[in-house]
Amino acid sequence: MAADKAGSAVSVRGVSMAFTTGAPVLADVSFEVREGEFFCIVGPSGCGKTTLLRLLAGLLKPTGGDIDFYGAPIAGPGRDRAIVFQDYSKALLPWRTVAGNISLSLEACNVPEEERAGRINALLAKMNLQRAAKQYPSALSGGMQQRVQIARCLAQQPKLLLMDEPFGALDAMTRQTLQDEVARLAVEQKTTVVFITHDLEEAIYLGDRVIALGTNPGRIVEMVEVGIPRPRNQLLTREDSRFLAHRHHLFGLLQGH
Amino acid sequence: MRRFLRGSTIPVLLVALWEVLSRTGILPMDTTSRPSLVVVAGYEGMADGSILIATWQTIEAAMFGFLMATVIGVLCGVVLGLSRKLEAIVGPSVDALRPIPAVALIPLSLLLFGFGLNLEAAVVAFACVWPVLLVTIAAVHGIEPRLLELARVLEMPFATRMRKIILPAALGRITVGLRVAVSISLVVAVTVEIVLNPRGLGYSMMMAQQTLKPELMYAQLLWLGALGWALNAALQKAVSCWPGMNELGGQS
Amino acid sequence: MKRLLEASWLRAVAFALGLLVLWQIASDLKVISPIFFPPPSKTLLELYRQIVEGTIWTPLVETSLRMFYGWVLASLSGVMLGAAIGSSPAARDFLNPLLEFVRPLPASAIIPPAILFLGLSNTMSVTVIAFGAIWPVLLASVYGFASVSRQLVDVAAALRLTRIQFMVKIAIPGAMPDILAGARVSLAIALILAVVTEMQASQPGLGQNILLAQRSYRSAELYAGVVVLGLMGFVINYALQLIEAWALRWRPVHS
Repeated sequence: MAADKAGSAVSVRGVSMAFTTGAPVLADVSFEVREGEFFCIVGPSGCGKTTLLRLLAGLLKPTGGDIDFYGAPIAGPGRDRAIVFQDYSKALLPWRTVAGNISLSLEACNVPEEERAGRINALLAKMNLQRAAKQYPSALSGGMQQRVQIARCLAQQPKLLLMDEPFGALDAMTRQTLQDEVARLAVEQKTTVVFITHDLEEAIYLGDRVIALGTNPGRIVEMVEVGIPRPRNQLLTREDSRFLAHRHHLFGLLQGH
Repeated sequence: MRRFLRGSTIPVLLVALWEVLSRTGILPMDTTSRPSLVVVAGYEGMADGSILIATWQTIEAAMFGFLMATVIGVLCGVVLGLSRKLEAIVGPSVDALRPIPAVALIPLSLLLFGFGLNLEAAVVAFACVWPVLLVTIAAVHGIEPRLLELARVLEMPFATRMRKIILPAALGRITVGLRVAVSISLVVAVTVEIVLNPRGLGYSMMMAQQTLKPELMYAQLLWLGALGWALNAALQKAVSCWPGMNELGGQS
Repeated sequence: MKRLLEASWLRAVAFALGLLVLWQIASDLKVISPIFFPPPSKTLLELYRQIVEGTIWTPLVETSLRMFYGWVLASLSGVMLGAAIGSSPAARDFLNPLLEFVRPLPASAIIPPAILFLGLSNTMSVTVIAFGAIWPVLLASVYGFASVSRQLVDVAAALRLTRIQFMVKIAIPGAMPDILAGARVSLAIALILAVVTEMQASQPGLGQNILLAQRSYRSAELYAGVVVLGLMGFVINYALQLIEAWALRWRPVHS
């Protein structure tokens, strides 16, 4: 994509992270995420992916190194960065309807009440949730619940969308549908996305770039430029020779750890 | 260790404050007494056996009532649990009796039994029978139906079926109801004594209050607290030792 | 299916009526003592008389108000304390052992010191009720506030919710199922303690009435009082169940 011309959205320099108990989780991690880029981080469980994401969200502070967001160091969580959690059932408010859950973001952003309904309806339409607007999360399928969570994140109009294995708990069909929707949304909204997954193919399919993390401690073992044009296609892209080459290359690297 | 220190901070501070305020005359002696005097009164009450005798009277009534409730509750519970038809017929009558606060039966029990152990035990039994009954019905419903079919296939007579299949299979969950009932039994026994029955710890607290011996009253109150705490801790331990209890506890 | 249900409902009513008729006959024939077990017809007549003469309402209102004040006091302070303890691990460390000690204490056991401080007054009564009824709400709130999911805490942080917004929008509704379940138990306890303090401290109300009825061997009046208290227990439990079902309508339906 034209990401080369764009500026840097996130800049991570020499970040390390250790909790008081036990070995370091991340060691000397450095990368840049360009504005508007779809940036995937793939790695086995225990490589510190989620910790890295929480650092970007500002929910944690690194024990070493710097993280800048549009040139300013990250001091804490901010509404310009939204997170989509894997565990959608625990991240939604079960006592609010779908519309009510989306409204939470608008309330937090102090959107006046009379504007909310219109914005909620637009988001419901965008995520194909209109029919479920008045339903409670417990009545929805996993895929629908995850749509609600994404809609809630979009409602805060973030500059950066952080996604923590968002489709890990979904069945294969739903996962593919949502992959394509998120890819489309990211282009439409020109949102920068940092997407974490343990599924290598998902990372290559979605990402403009992919970094692979190794374990003990978590560190970058490889960074690849995917270079497959968008829009991508579940069948054709996955059969593309570049896709297969990246897959072979990264698969070997991740297996080694 | 840190947790223990933090946990004991507030009680120790409170007692110290109580003692200091009492010695400086800010707290009136006739209502708040003084921790040091409470300790002395407690020691004397223990030494002459009066607190222990009162304790025994309370526990005796609580246990008597609890045992009656257990026998009645488990028997009726098994019968009602085994027959959905019978449960449908008798259940509503049970539901009509259940909301009666047990203490409302104190005057009735007094009318029937007069003052003494039986009055107290009857009220305790009424209060304790409901958790036992309901849990037993649920426990019998929860028995694997294939086990009951097995008993039928083996043509076991009712008593054998009860002894070899039903009770062992339901016992785990019944224990949960028994635990609740034990805690209730102590509370209700003390309550009956405080209201009107002239025996046990509840009554001797009332007496200490009326004869203007607040230090003895506080000593008995603390003793009662310790008793309740120990009972609770023992029950928790007993239930957690029961095999497979952790999964069962959540279901009831 | 519907006919079957109606049939079993009929049988249940027939069973209850049958028991009452047996009681009536046994008592009329003096097989059981009509003083200890007055025939149900007498109890019903007594209830009817009280309703017609209007004497039933004053004690009913007295007891209900006492119960209600104590319960409201207990619920409010229980939720506030529970929120403070549940959302702070340090507060839990400091206060838990004390609470663990006080909780199993029979609530009625604080009647003697309460009388010592407050005399035989309505204040004493409400204090005792509040003290006894606070535990279910308090423990349920501590649990409810302590078990807000980590994801929701993160969501709140990412949205930069203020402390108050977090409480109002996330913590309190999240703890609501536990709080309401606790409040229901609390109300039952409040009724019990209202009756107990009325009996012990001669406060006007249903509790005192049935005790006085017993002392003068007016057993039909005694049974009528028990019936009224039973109805009260049923109504308050049912009412709170309805409130619970309405407030928690977002919960998935369990079989």
